Amino acid sequence: MANYSAKILNNATGALAAQQAVIAAASNNIANANTPGYSRRVVELQTRASGGEGVGVNVGNGVEVGRLARLTDTFLEKLVRDTTADKNYYGVQNDLLRRVDALFSVTGDKPTIGSAMTAFFASVNDLAANPSSIPLRSTMIDRGNDLVSAIRTTFQTIADIQNEADGRIATEIQGVNSLTQQIGSLNDRIRANERTGNTDADSRDQRDVLMQRLSEKIGYSTVELPDGTVTLSLSNGFVLVSGGDARQLQTTPNPSFSPGSLPPALNGGILSYIVYDYSGGAGAPAHVDLSRVIGGGGGTLGGLMAVRGYNDPNNTSAFDADGVLVGVASRVESIARQLLTTINQSYLGPDNDPGTAGHQPSAGDLDGHTADFYNATDHAYNLFSFDFNGTKDADGDGLPNDLNALGVDSFARVLQFGVSDPRRIAAALNAGSLGSPVYAPGDGRNLENLAGFETNSTMNFSVGSYSMTGTFGETYAESVGYVGNSVGSVKTQLDVTTDNLTTALNHRDEVSGVSLDEEFTSLIKFQKAYQASAKLIKVADDLLTQIVNIL
Amino acid sequence: MTRVTESQLGRVNLSNISRSKEKILKLNEEIDSGYKVQTPSDSDASAVIEKYHQALDKLATYKNRTASVKSFLTYQDDNLSQVSDLLNRAREVATQAANSTNSPGTRAQMAEEVFQIRDHLVSLANAQYQGKYIWGGAQDTNQPYDAQTYTNPPTGGASQRYVWDNLAGRDITRTVNISENLTIGIDSQGNTVFDNALQGLERLGRALAGYQTSPASGVPTGAGAAYNFPTDYTLQTQDIQNALNLLDQARSNDIEPKRVELGGKLRRIDTAESLLSLTQTNAEEALDKLQNADIAESASALTQAQSVLQASLSVTARVMNQSILDYL
Repeated sequence: MANYSAKILNNATGALAAQQAVIAAASNNIANANTPGYSRRVVELQTRASGGEGVGVNVGNGVEVGRLARLTDTFLEKLVRDTTADKNYYGVQNDLLRRVDALFSVTGDKPTIGSAMTAFFASVNDLAANPSSIPLRSTMIDRGNDLVSAIRTTFQTIADIQNEADGRIATEIQGVNSLTQQIGSLNDRIRANERTGNTDADSRDQRDVLMQRLSEKIGYSTVELPDGTVTLSLSNGFVLVSGGDARQLQTTPNPSFSPGSLPPALNGGILSYIVYDYSGGAGAPAHVDLSRVIGGGGGTLGGLMAVRGYNDPNNTSAFDADGVLVGVASRVESIARQLLTTINQSYLGPDNDPGTAGHQPSAGDLDGHTADFYNATDHAYNLFSFDFNGTKDADGDGLPNDLNALGVDSFARVLQFGVSDPRRIAAALNAGSLGSPVYAPGDGRNLENLAGFETNSTMNFSVGSYSMTGTFGETYAESVGYVGNSVGSVKTQLDVTTDNLTTALNHRDEVSGVSLDEEFTSLIKFQKAYQASAKLIKVADDLLTQIVNIL
Repeated sequence: MTRVTESQLGRVNLSNISRSKEKILKLNEEIDSGYKVQTPSDSDASAVIEKYHQALDKLATYKNRTASVKSFLTYQDDNLSQVSDLLNRAREVATQAANSTNSPGTRAQMAEEVFQIRDHLVSLANAQYQGKYIWGGAQDTNQPYDAQTYTNPPTGGASQRYVWDNLAGRDITRTVNISENLTIGIDSQGNTVFDNALQGLERLGRALAGYQTSPASGVPTGAGAAYNFPTDYTLQTQDIQNALNLLDQARSNDIEPKRVELGGKLRRIDTAESLLSLTQTNAEEALDKLQNADIAESASALTQAQSVLQASLSVTARVMNQSILDYL
């Protein structure tokens, strides 16, 4: 008899403790209902096993706290991280490329390369029809300057965006370093705290949050080891975090694996490389290039690399890099180069003396100046020009077709309109003899030829990996299509990945999120159970009192 | 049974609301700007839209250029119509003078009128349009016919003759693009139009004034000796007759064909103009469909999006407000 009373008391006190534990866990859940990364915790109760012997029937030994379960699903956590990386990959691209999109506006009422080009060729045509008109000559100069400034502004904006992306890569890498370091220290803490078999739920929550934030920046894979630590590695197997160690990445414009001078960026600088320095301070630096691996991994850094592009150290020009910006810039550059070669060459007029070696210009202006090829001191002798410091006319054929030898990488950045004096436009072709040329003021034949290049002549526009055969107008329209497709697909992908992320987060919250209704329901349930357990003590007390009173 | 947590509800409602707002913003922009497509990424057809814009821009400049070419050619045609009238008048004078009833004295009086006609012809040949000589070829800032003094000027008659200033570049024909594949040549080479007429008038004037014309062809230099009347009366009549023939030739071989040519060009320009307008209308229509917002459609879509937003907001307010706490 007495055995049972003791059991009742025993069970009641055990139950009180157990219900309290559950209520305490619920209070923690409620407190953290809106904490990012918090995973719901549940106290698992189990029947107490000890003390089964004794008199009579074994009614059981009450309840005890089994363990604290942290409700997470590693698969869903991974899904959330992967979709976060995807969403950020497209998010950052969308931010940057929207600005490129605006440069190629198709409303027809904003100045673009396309509208400037049409206007320029229209002014050439107009002047060809009335070559001695000074106002029309001024108009052509204005339109020419408009075209040059449209090309330069567009190119410069693209180059600036590339530069900005490059700068952001450096900042993001610092963020990655700080996150991996923190994940490493949490690994250490979790390993120490879980040696006893407990779950260090708080540290794990924190680590999940940090890993989530890391996945905003880069894509990586994780393996959880039996000691509770996670190993993070890139897609090529490069280990970022192992146990308490986190490898610190760097960005540098001068990596040790460079064979010599590095290819320039669009703005003339150098795109940095994401590297890890294996030498650890001693000896020669031994950089390993991680730019492409990280670029291909998604996340903000992947997006930035996709926009900025990667310029292999073996490349020679800014246009050899990949990436959307380089693609757009190549198109602009190809237009600038055609102006400098084909259009300038046409502007010189046909060869005045096929008998003499080299091209003898046959076009001249109102004051008898003959057009000249790259007159170094006076740009007014040619239509489109730029300052150069390389070899002029390397092949000696008298034609402006040796752009490669001029020591300039991006001509779109330095393009100028040579003529500023209306009288200096060489509209006429030589009507006199070779020695004493005559340029009739009403002769617009040179400009007639020039104007023909707008629509009638197809030429090969190629820079870097871009190549297109067509007219100026077609090439520009192709560029608009390229920008539209690139930006449009990023927009669409951003919508898709944002939806995916929402779905993944919802799935995760379905398992790990706190439901207040649920917590309160369980609160009431366990409150009642607590009350009942308390009542049990009273009952056991009554039972004992009865016996004591009899004695 | 699926667990639904507050954060899920919040996220779903929030994303629905922002999706509605995004749509409203887009429609709002469409209605404000009138454009459905503003930047390349707004449409798959942006390259096509750009091509239509290029084509339309070009059409506009073709139209301008066509108008100015047309007015130039019309000016040339008017000029030649006056030349034609002048030659008729000269012919009347010559025919009358050739009549053998006229004495050398009467013929000398007629010479003055012929030289006036000639001066008028020269002023037409040296006419300017917008500051440029219309018959000067590519040398359109240099006067096509220059005055020279006769070696042997008649007493009381004209002392000067006019000769074609043959500069390099006078024979250059201007080619003007007036539509995508149509060019019009602007031919303003004055000597092919005026030389014969001018020579005819000069020879007629010299003969009437009483001087033999020399050299035998071309513009008389004024070196010809005076006729010796009455012996040379027949010779003078013959010279007048020759000059008359030259005038007739000038009219039928130079002036009239040139006018026919100008008329043909003007007709081609008219055709090109109406074609340009047609192409423009077509391109504008196509562009309108591709790029411009249908305001009525966008406005009704906006109303619809607003209703959806209102519904989302009211659902959010209701759902998010419900909790077991209200009943405890």
